[in-house]
Amino acid sequence: MCLLEMNHIQKKFENLQVLKDISLSVKEGEIVSIIGPSGSGKSTLLRCATMLETIDSGEMIYLGEKAAWTENQKTVYAKKDQLKEIRKSFGLVFQSFNLFPHFSVIKNITDAPIHVQGKSKEEAYREGMELLKKMGLEDKADAYPCQLSGGQCQRVAIARALALNPKILFFDEPTSALDPELTGEVLKVIRSLADLDITMVIVTHEMAFARDISDRVIFMADGVIVEEGTPEEVFSSTNERTQAFLGRYGEMLGR
Amino acid sequence: MDFIQWIVNIGVQIMEMLPQLLAGMAVSVQIFAVTVVFSLPLGLIISFGRMAKNPVVRGITKAYISIMRGTPLMLQLFIVYFGPYYLFGIRVTNDYRLWAVFIGFVINYAAYFAEIYRSGIQSMPAGQYEAARLLGYNRVQTFFRIIFPQVVKRILPPVTNEVITLVKDTSLAFTISVVEMFTIAKQLASAQATMVPFVAAGIFYYIFNFLVAVVMEWAEKKLSYYQ
Repeated sequence: MCLLEMNHIQKKFENLQVLKDISLSVKEGEIVSIIGPSGSGKSTLLRCATMLETIDSGEMIYLGEKAAWTENQKTVYAKKDQLKEIRKSFGLVFQSFNLFPHFSVIKNITDAPIHVQGKSKEEAYREGMELLKKMGLEDKADAYPCQLSGGQCQRVAIARALALNPKILFFDEPTSALDPELTGEVLKVIRSLADLDITMVIVTHEMAFARDISDRVIFMADGVIVEEGTPEEVFSSTNERTQAFLGRYGEMLGR
Repeated sequence: MDFIQWIVNIGVQIMEMLPQLLAGMAVSVQIFAVTVVFSLPLGLIISFGRMAKNPVVRGITKAYISIMRGTPLMLQLFIVYFGPYYLFGIRVTNDYRLWAVFIGFVINYAAYFAEIYRSGIQSMPAGQYEAARLLGYNRVQTFFRIIFPQVVKRILPPVTNEVITLVKDTSLAFTISVVEMFTIAKQLASAQATMVPFVAAGIFYYIFNFLVAVVMEWAEKKLSYYQ
C-alpha cells in the first residue's frame, strides 16, 4: 500500500515556481532519499508533504485518504478533523532540530505523547527512556538541549518524532547543521531505524548515506524530479543533469 | 552643631514620621500590587488583539496602545477620576479615588506590557511553532506549553524596567488626592517646613525598588537553566 501519494504538486512563492508538477509515492517500509542541488525544491516538497506549506495545486493522499486535491482550479484541503488524523501518520525531523529549549530531554520526548495522545506519564516515560537508549542517550534524559552537542540534539529530535509512532518519518537535511563527526552518529541512528522497517523520506546531501540506505533515490533539480530509481541506477545515471550534480560522487559511488 | 549631631537629628525626625509614612507606603504597595496582578494578564490579551488577523481588532488595539503611551498617565488618571461626572453626570464617592487609580494604572500599564509581550512573541523562531504543529499540539497548547514559557524568559528584562517605573509612578496617585506615601511626605514637608520627609520617601522608594530588582533577578536566575 502507498503510505503517501503526491500527484502533480505545484508550489509558488511570490513569482518563483519552486515545485513544477512533482509526483511521487512512498510505499510502506520504503526508504526514499531525495537529493539535488540547493534551491531545487527538496525542502519545499517536504514542507508541503508535512503540511507546513500549502500546495497551489495537485493532490496529496495519505494511507489512501485524500488530504488535498484540486477542484475547479482551486486547491481544497480535507476537513480539520480529517487533517488532524492524517497528521498523526507522519513525523518530521528538522535540519535545525527545533527542540523545545525549556524542556529537559525526556520532557521533549514525552510531552506530546502525554498531552496530545493522552498517554499515562509512566507509559510515556518508559517508552521515552527506551527510545533514548536506542539513541545511545539514556544518560542525558534530564539534561537540557543547550547542554547537548548538535548530534545529540538531532538524536533527541528523532526520538521525539518516533515517540508518537508515525507511519512515515520525514527528515529535512538532518545532518546539514552538523560537522562530519556528529553527522556520523546521526546517520548511524537513522540507519538503525531502517532495520526497524520504519518508512522514511530523507532529504539529504550525504550521497554515500543516500546510496547505502535507500530503496529508492529521487534526484530533483529546478523544481522537477529529474530522475528516480534504485541507488545504483541514479548514481550511475548517464543523465547530464544528474551527472553534473553528482560529479565525482557518481564516479566514486556508482560503480 | 557638628555633622554627627545633624545626622542624628534627621534620623530622629524620620523615626517620628515613620508611622505615617509607612501607612502611606501600604497604599503605594497596594497600587503597585493591583497594577501588576491585573495589567500583566490584561496586557497579554491586548497583545493578542494587536497581533490579530482581523484588521478591525488590530486597528482598535493599536489605537488604544497609541493613546495610552502617547498621553501622560497623570492626565489619564484625571479622566478616569473626573470622567464619570463630567461625561455622564455620575456622582462619585470618595472611595472612588483609589479605584480610579487602580483602573488608570492597570489600563495604562497593560498597554506597555502588551507591546513587551508582542516583542517577545514575535521574536520566537517559527521552528518552535512548526515542531509543535508536527507533534500534534493544538493552538492553545502550543502557546501555553511551548511558546509562552520561553516568551516569559525573553521579556523579563523589559518587564523589570517597567515594574521599576511603576513603583515610582505610584506617586502620581497624589494628583487625585489618594493618600499614598508621596502625598503624606508632601503634607509633612509643608507642615514642618523641612525637606526630611522627601528624603525619607526617597529612601522608601529606593528600598521598594531594590526589593523588586532582587525578586526579578532571582526570577531571571531561575529561568537561566536554558538558553
